[in-house]
Formats: sequence, structure tokens, C-alpha cells
Amino acid sequence: MSKVNPPNEKPANGNQQPKVGVYVCRCGGNISDVVSVEKVAEAAGQMPDVVVARQNTFMCSHPGQQMIVDDIAKLGLNRVVVAACSPRLHELTFRKTLVRAGLNAYLFEHANIREQVSWVSKSDPEGATAKATRLVGAAVAKVRLSRPLDPIKVDATRQVLIIGGGVSGLRCARDLSQSGFRVVLVEQSAALGGRLTELGRLYPVQVEAREVLHSLISEVSRDAAIQVLTSAEVTAVSGSIGNFSVAVRCAQQETTIHVGAIVLATGFDTYEPLPGEYGYAEFPEVITLPQFVRLLEKQGPSDGQLQRNGRPVKNVCLVHCVGSRQIEGIHQPGPDGRLHEYCSRFCCTAALQAANEIRARFPAVNVFDVYRDIRTYGRGHESYYEQASKQGVIFFRFLAEQLPQIRRADADGSALVVQVKDTLTWGEDLEIPADLVVLVTGAVPRDLSRLIDMLKLSRSPDGFLQEVHPKLRPVETAVSGVFLAGGCQAPMDVGESCTAASAAAARVSAALLKGYVELEPFAAVADPALCTGTGACIEVCQHQRAISLVDVMADGVTLRRAQVNPALCGGCGMCVPACPHGAIQVDGWRLEQFEAMVDAIAADY
Amino acid sequence: MSAGSSTGETVQQRLVFDALVVGGGIAGLQSAIELGDQGYKVLIVEKAPSIGGKMIGLSKVFPTLDCSSCICTPRMAAAAHHENVTIFTYSEVRRTERAGSRFQVEVVRKPRYVHEADCIGCRLCEYACPIHVEHEFEGNLGARKAIYVPFANAIPQLALVDLEHCVFCGLCEKACPTHAINFLQQPEEIAVEVGTIILATGYKMMSPERLKLYGGGRLRNVLTSLQVERLLAPHGPYGRVLRPSDGKAPSSIGYVQCAGSRDQSVGVSYCSRVCCMYAIKQAMLLSGSLPMVDITIYYMDIRAFGKGFEQFFQNAKAMGIEFVKAKVGRITEDENQNPVVRVEVMEQDGRVEERKHDMVVLSLGLLPGWDPSGVVPAEIAEDGFIRSADPLLAPARTTAEGIFVAGAAAGPKDIPDSIVEAGAAAMEAAIYLRRNGSSSNGDERAVNEQAAVVAQGRG
Amino acid sequence: MSEVQQARRPKILLLATTACAYPGADYVGQIHSEYSTDTYIIRVPALAVFPPEFYLRCFQKGIDGIIAMSCGHECPYPGAYERFAERIGRAQELMKRQGLDARRLRTTAICTVCGRAFLKEVQDMVQRVAQSGGQLVGK
Repeated sequence: MSKVNPPNEKPANGNQQPKVGVYVCRCGGNISDVVSVEKVAEAAGQMPDVVVARQNTFMCSHPGQQMIVDDIAKLGLNRVVVAACSPRLHELTFRKTLVRAGLNAYLFEHANIREQVSWVSKSDPEGATAKATRLVGAAVAKVRLSRPLDPIKVDATRQVLIIGGGVSGLRCARDLSQSGFRVVLVEQSAALGGRLTELGRLYPVQVEAREVLHSLISEVSRDAAIQVLTSAEVTAVSGSIGNFSVAVRCAQQETTIHVGAIVLATGFDTYEPLPGEYGYAEFPEVITLPQFVRLLEKQGPSDGQLQRNGRPVKNVCLVHCVGSRQIEGIHQPGPDGRLHEYCSRFCCTAALQAANEIRARFPAVNVFDVYRDIRTYGRGHESYYEQASKQGVIFFRFLAEQLPQIRRADADGSALVVQVKDTLTWGEDLEIPADLVVLVTGAVPRDLSRLIDMLKLSRSPDGFLQEVHPKLRPVETAVSGVFLAGGCQAPMDVGESCTAASAAAARVSAALLKGYVELEPFAAVADPALCTGTGACIEVCQHQRAISLVDVMADGVTLRRAQVNPALCGGCGMCVPACPHGAIQVDGWRLEQFEAMVDAIAADY
Repeated sequence: MSAGSSTGETVQQRLVFDALVVGGGIAGLQSAIELGDQGYKVLIVEKAPSIGGKMIGLSKVFPTLDCSSCICTPRMAAAAHHENVTIFTYSEVRRTERAGSRFQVEVVRKPRYVHEADCIGCRLCEYACPIHVEHEFEGNLGARKAIYVPFANAIPQLALVDLEHCVFCGLCEKACPTHAINFLQQPEEIAVEVGTIILATGYKMMSPERLKLYGGGRLRNVLTSLQVERLLAPHGPYGRVLRPSDGKAPSSIGYVQCAGSRDQSVGVSYCSRVCCMYAIKQAMLLSGSLPMVDITIYYMDIRAFGKGFEQFFQNAKAMGIEFVKAKVGRITEDENQNPVVRVEVMEQDGRVEERKHDMVVLSLGLLPGWDPSGVVPAEIAEDGFIRSADPLLAPARTTAEGIFVAGAAAGPKDIPDSIVEAGAAAMEAAIYLRRNGSSSNGDERAVNEQAAVVAQGRG
Repeated sequence: MSEVQQARRPKILLLATTACAYPGADYVGQIHSEYSTDTYIIRVPALAVFPPEFYLRCFQKGIDGIIAMSCGHECPYPGAYERFAERIGRAQELMKRQGLDARRLRTTAICTVCGRAFLKEVQDMVQRVAQSGGQLVGK
């Protein structure tokens, strides 16, 4: 990892004796109608290291900013404080002003005397003036201790590892290759395609899954920038964003690849019902939806008969939410000991698609659909529901508290009977004849424990991989440089997986496109002169794992000292109090700066 | 395409960007940030006077119950401060013409009657203005002035004059410390050239006037779901939850699901996808602010399909919120303006009941926010939303080459799904730009100098 | 205002997080609500940066009350909120041990539009400081 100096900034001059300029804004009366701006400026002029203190009607205007630029040139200012509106509006403006005048952007402090003084103190102008003065004092105190900071730049490899060769991984690989990246796609099985190889026609456009897959795989295979490794697995990972080292085992050979980012596209598993769950593995006539899809494919043309075990099927009964929407006390946890409380999202529409196909191809076959809620939420999905009703699919609705029961039929006729307490007919107990019972199974999280350990990822309560925040950073993990694409994060259908994969590609692209990763300079820094290598900071930095102990040579002796990887540090500062020697501080927000601010507020002017 | 203004005589400026994002709601902002982060120069055109779209007006958002403003304002600020993103608020796209792989776009900036460069958002004009107008942002439950900053956390913090209600008394002009008010301001036409377009034009709510059986918008204590969002917002119009007719805190609230969704009689056959979850969320928040309230949700199917949604739904049931499977046939009111809902209760004996509540909330469906016909060459589908060319492999692609779609513009969608789709649309747009030779300054290729020059003048 | 009077006014420190509480305080300004001028806001990325002793030193320096305004569980830094809660707990223990009124150190979560919660917290602290008069004032 190397630190690159930003090209456009002049050498910083923050190590000289502080010479502070203070500028108090009137904001056209918004501040000066309440706060005596003159008094604040006058008091600021008396503060330590303050060389000049002025006021202006609009500091953010061109003349206001020019005043600062001129003073920096004429008076040799090396620190600036502006007291005006909230820094959320104009902190950036004034940082740029400093850069224009040749100063480091971070030798600036902003005192908020509008939103947090004049606008909230109308009836107490004297108090407001005193408060504004102290806040200016605090800003001066902080800026005196400021050091020039440079954005943290980390060289980044423009190659990406994608783990998983299903539709999400393939889609993500294509997007990244077309954005100018090299991609290594690692698939643990012998062939690409993942879950899609098991599917038939795909809603909402009725295209065959194998056609979709074929076009995607041939694109990826033709793409010289994408290296596909099948029957391969990741065995070790080290490094951080921009510079991961990944060991991959492929054909009994271990190779190490260098990548700037890692995308997890490991998908999900389909739920395998427990033996005896709705008669599964007990009656051969009970199968899962994926098994049924394969059965439908093998059947003859549409005028043929639907058969199971060589016997014609007259009645099919679909049972929804098998292995999804489970409730403690009602459902049994699966083999992984986990209750699947979530909705699997795609199974309602997939089940109705199958129901419609039966009715269209085998009009003599009755279809019964036993559900809890029909969740055809997606675009075009509701029409599958409408079509099913029109085509004579008969619906029954059960409550989780009264699960349907499946048993052998007593008399001749259908093989099985599905007993339902049907809430659509006001709770009547009904017996549905069935030659075939299709359990509409959903998605379950894969066992990714090795990858999770290697990459230090976390799971959501539902067992799927956890994003940082579903709205702010939906495709990123808490580990910087590791991204999520598709079904490893939550149940998703094909379109949703592709969307998620493209979104992940966009984030990867933004992070690595420049060939370096640029981060805000507010990272923790350990002072090797104070550090004694206690490791206390490392202990509190569990989430980011940004700190490590490294060997440092000093006077011919090797010492263990804390070192922060700025690429991983978010600048939260929770390591600061952990150090018994005060050796670790966050640049731009050092504890001594906060202490100085409190001193200034406690002081009287 | 008519000749109109294409002679160039009325065109005052010509700007060049890599991408145009139509709509500055959460999907548009996210698309723009994603493209900007990849080094492309982006113009956002937003028709409202502030960015933030629908999301900035919401209270808390499901399933995490984060404060909506706390999630949305950082995104707004990130776009507004982004070196590669320019924003025109209170502006509209008029016309688009394809020029090779690129597009010539005509944008109109509507007059605020306040000079943007001079306004400092101090609201002194607003305090001086004597005219009170129902505030759209507060679901018409609160008031604003005829000159106003759109809402407290609006970006940009700029005032605008509502000429329809202004009486030209001149008090605002006197109050303005920067003399920014100018009643003679004219619409400004701007010619823009872009390499790609993302449509993030969002949705609008079904109008309660169209739901005649539910009172057609005339029943005082029948509120829309967006109005309840404002009642629940920490900075809402009343400061607490009460019913509009008499200011009483409601002790019984009914939610009517699928109000204008999955209903052929109003021409909307699709599921609006967010109403189940927002109703459950509102019910939970209402239970929090009104400890004694009874809440009943009348539903057809509860569609809690997203990550963490089903658990959220089960929590609501555990909290005592009553879920009744029933389609509400009609809403009337009694002599005290208490809404009365007529339902067939399916889970009991199917009898038709009339149930009285203090307040009823219509979980209104989502309609397309904008029709691109004649303005942008993208097609709409039968549902009125922008048609996706490849719903499986590339849902963000429209049927028009180089034009992409994000968020609820392509059909009702919740916030997490909209944000992810915005990322996908940005990826598609970036690939399109690369394929057609547009450069990205992050790509360390030649910087698009024209666009760089233009980066100033952010609205 | 004479200097003697000025010196006697209480000082309440509001430590406000960059992501939530600081914008929340700005929001109070944007709606032009009024609160005591004896309050001083310091912007902090995450409150977990402060050791327990920091709070004690503040009181020693003459600060009368501190409200640590966090993002609560919406904290953008994983684990930081929990660390902060731990450290505040220890600070309050230390205060008790030193005979300081632990109510002088309050913690609360303030969102970006939590204007009412902000005003109430400030009002409560102002009253607490005023009621206890000279007793509360640290030396």
C-alpha cells in the first residue's frame, strides 16, 4: 500500500506557529439582527494566535471569500475560522477557499452561529453574543491544534474476484468486464449456471431458463477479460480493499490471485422439507416445486397426460410456504437448526405459473392451491394470480396455526387427501383429493461458514449475508471491498438477482475505477513514540479490524507497535480511549482538540 | 417534433453532460451518485423545488424503522455536494431528440421569482408574507406562505413564490436582505446534450377522489397514507397524532388495504407492493404514540416479501394489531364524522359487518409519476409505468437504446429495491457511455472538458 | 452585562454526532425554535471517542451539564454506540464516586428531525442545572 500525494495541493504549512484569521458573517441580518457581530469579532481579535478578525455581510459571497484569500496572502495566515451558518451548508465552500489560497483544506474550522445561535436565541441577544463568542473561541482553540491532512489514497488492483457462477455472478462479471475490469469468476461446481440450471420457464416473460443462461454463459466465455475457474474454491483471503490476496484451489492446484474487490454471488439453496413434513419422503406422491418443474418438462406434448409413477394424475394440490414464513412453536427448525421466518419472495408467482401451465397443458387435471397469502407483488405477477382464477385453479387459505394435513385416501380414487381448515369458506374443514401434492418450497441460506470466517462477514438474523444498511449501502458488507450480489443476501428471483448484481458492479466500479481508492483523511493514527504495543486498541476495533501490531525497528531493536490501515478505518475513534498512553488519535478530531474546545467554552471573554 | 424553439434563438445556454437523470427522488439521487462516483458528469432535473422526492416526507421507514429524513438527507447532501453532479430543481424536461448515440434535451427552469444566486434561505420573506396556503408537503394538513422554502430540510434552501396565491403586497421584497425577489423572472430554456438518460420519475399516489365507494375524498376523518406519514413525522403539521375533524386523539383506527390497487374497477390491476408494509409500519408507530389505540388492518393478502418484512409483520401481530381478511366494500360516516366501514369478514362466518372507527386510513396504491410520451422516447407498458425491455437479465433497460429506468418509474417499489435498482440503472448507463466512447474522468482517460466547465451553476 | 454576571451563567455542553444529532440541532434552528443560550454544541463523529475521564474533566473545568446526543442504534459506525454506552456508564460511576450529581451527564439519541426531543432534553437540563443552583456547579 502506498500513500499518493494529491497532485493539486501545495505543500502544507501547518507546522509553523499558528496564525489564525477569524471571519464573522452577518448573513444579511440573519445573524447580526440577534448577535452583535462586531463584539464577536472584537473578542475574537483578542484570542490567542488570532492575527485578524473581521466581519462581512455574506462570507460565502465572492467578496467574502476573497477577503480570506487576500488575508492569507498579505498576513501569512495559516489557519482560518469562519463563524456563519451551519458547516453542513458551507464548510466545503470555505475549505475550497483555503485551497485556492494555497492552504491545506483541513486548516479550517467552522463555527455555527446561525442555525445554532441567532435563529434559536431571538429574545436573548446578549446571551447569543456571548454564546457566539465562546463558539468562535472553541473553533479557534481547535484550529490552532489542526494539522494539514491529505485524502488517504490506496493503490487498487483493477481486477475483481466473483465467487459464484450463477446468474448473479455471471451478470456481475459481464458488467465489470464491460466497465474495464478484469474478472476472475470462481465456481465451486463443475459448470456455470447455478440455480438457473434447475428452472424451467421464467416469469414474468415465459422464457426458458436454459435460453437465458445460454446467452449469458456464451457472453462470459467469449469475454477475454473474464477468467472462469470451475470446480474451484477460495481457500484463503488476506489484504484489504484495493489489494486482496486470494488463494484459489482449482484442479488440485493452488494459485494466488490479486484483486481489488471481492463480490459474493454464492446464491441460496432451496428448502428440502423434513421427512414427514406434509408427507414428504413418506408418500411418493409428495414432491417439491423444483421437482415438479422437472416433472412437467419431461411430460409429453400438451395433449398428453400428466403422470406420476406411471399413474395418471387427475388432481394436483399445491401447498405454499413450505420452509418459509415459519413460526416458532408451530414449525420445526430445519437441519441447520434454523427457523425460516422470512418469506421466500419468488415461490408464490412460481407456483401459480406452474398451476397455470398444468391447466393450459392438461385441461382435465384439477389444480388446488392451498396458501396463506398470495404474494404476487412484482411487476406482471398479479396477472398470474388473475389467470389462475380464470383458468379454474381452486384456492384454499389456511392459517399458520392450522396447517394442512396430508394422509392416504381411505377409498379408491385419488392417492392422497389434503385436509385444510379453509378460511375462505369461513373456516370449514375440507378434504382435497390429490394424486400429486406439490410443496412450494422457498430459499434457505447456504452454508458459507468457511467464507464467512475467511472474510469476517456477518449474517442477518435470517441467516443470509448481511449488508451494511438496506437503504444506505445495500450491496456492501461491513468489510470494505467485499460486496454482495443476489441470492446470498436474501431470496430473489432472476430479475432481482440481476439488478442486485449490477448494483454491486456499480459500487465496485466506483471504488476501483481510478486505480486507487480515495478515502476521507479522518482516520486513526497510532504514534509509534507513545505506543507500547499493548494491543488494547485492536481489541475494541472488532468490527473494522483496522488496527494490527507490526514490527518496527528502532535503534536496532525490534518493537511491536500498533498500525492503522486507513483503508479500513472509518474514523469512529472508539479506539482512542482504549489506549492507556493516548497513543492513538483520529486525525482531524484529536482528543486534545476537544479538550481545547471545552477549555474555550469554559473560559470567559 | 415541431420546429418550435429548435432554431436556437430562444436558447440561452448549451450544456454538456454524460448523463441526465430525470427525477431527484431517492432513486434519481442514488443513480446520479452512482454515476458521479464512477467519474461521469450528471445533470439531475427535478420538477419540484427541492430534491428528496416522496421519501423526504416520510416518517420512519420499514423494516428497520429508521427515521426517513436521517436516511434521505445524507443522500440529498451527497448529490448536492458531489463534484460530478449538477442539479436543476423546479425544472422540467420538455423535449428529447436522439443525435447518434447521444441526446439533445430541452430543459425548462421554471421561475421561482427569487434569484437563486442571491437567496440565502433565511425565510425572512416567509415570515413577512401574510398569505396562508394549504401545504402540499404536509398533505394539506398544515399551512405554508405564498412565498416559502419548500420544507425545513429542503435542498436547495431557496424560497419560491406561489403566484397563484400571492397578492403582490411587496412585504417579502422589503424583508429580503439580499433583494433576491424578482416578480419579473421568466422561464429559462436550457439546451443540454447528454450521452445517456435515466428515468427516475417515481410514482404518484392514487387520488382518494377516484375511490367513490370510500367517500371520494370527502370524509374528514378518512386520511390518506401519506397524510398519516406527516402526522407521524417528528416535525409533522400537528406535532402529534389527532384526527382532523375535531382534534381528538383517535382510539380506534382502521386501515383499508388495496385502496386503488388490485382493483379493476379503478383500472389498477397490479399490486402496489409497498402498502402492506407501510400500513403495518404506521400501525406500529401509531401504537407507540397512542398507547390506548386499537388498530385494525383490513386486507386481502399481506405481502411482506422483502428482507426482514415477514418478521416485521409477525411483530405487529404480536403487538396486538388486528389483521382482518376482508375487502372493504364501502366507507360512510356517522353524525359525529366517525368513519364506518362495511366489510365481509371472511375468517368468521362471512357475515357483512359495519365497523365504526375514529379514523380510517386508505392504503392508497401507486400510479405512474410521469408519462414520457412526446418528451423522452421511452415506452410505457399497459400498467402505465416505463416498460422494461428485459425484465430478467436487465430490468433497468427500457425499450429505447441508451435510456434506462430506476425505482418506482418502472412499477411500484419500496425504498431498498429502488436504491438497488438505481445502482443497476447507473451501471447500465455507464456501460452504454463507455461503449459509445464517452469518457469518465475517474477512468483516467481524457476528461470531458465541456462537461467540466459546466459543473458550476448547481441549483 | 457585567463580567461578574457573565461568569455566573451556567454552561451546558451538547456533544452532537455529525450524522444525526448535529443536523437535528440545525433543524431546530431552521424552524426557529428558541432555547437557552447557555448551551454549546460540539460536533463529534462518534461519541465513543471520549474516555470516561473526559466528562469529569469537563465538570472540573466549569461545565455545569453535558448532554451526549448520539445517533442511538442508527450510529453509522458498527459497534461504536455500544462502546459509547459502556463509557458513559463508567463516567457516571466515576461521578457518583466523586460526589458529583450523575444527572449532570445525560445521554439521548437525537435524529435529524427530532426537534421536539432536542428541545425537551435541553429544557430539562437547563432546569436541572438551575434548580440545583450553586450545588451543581463544579469547581
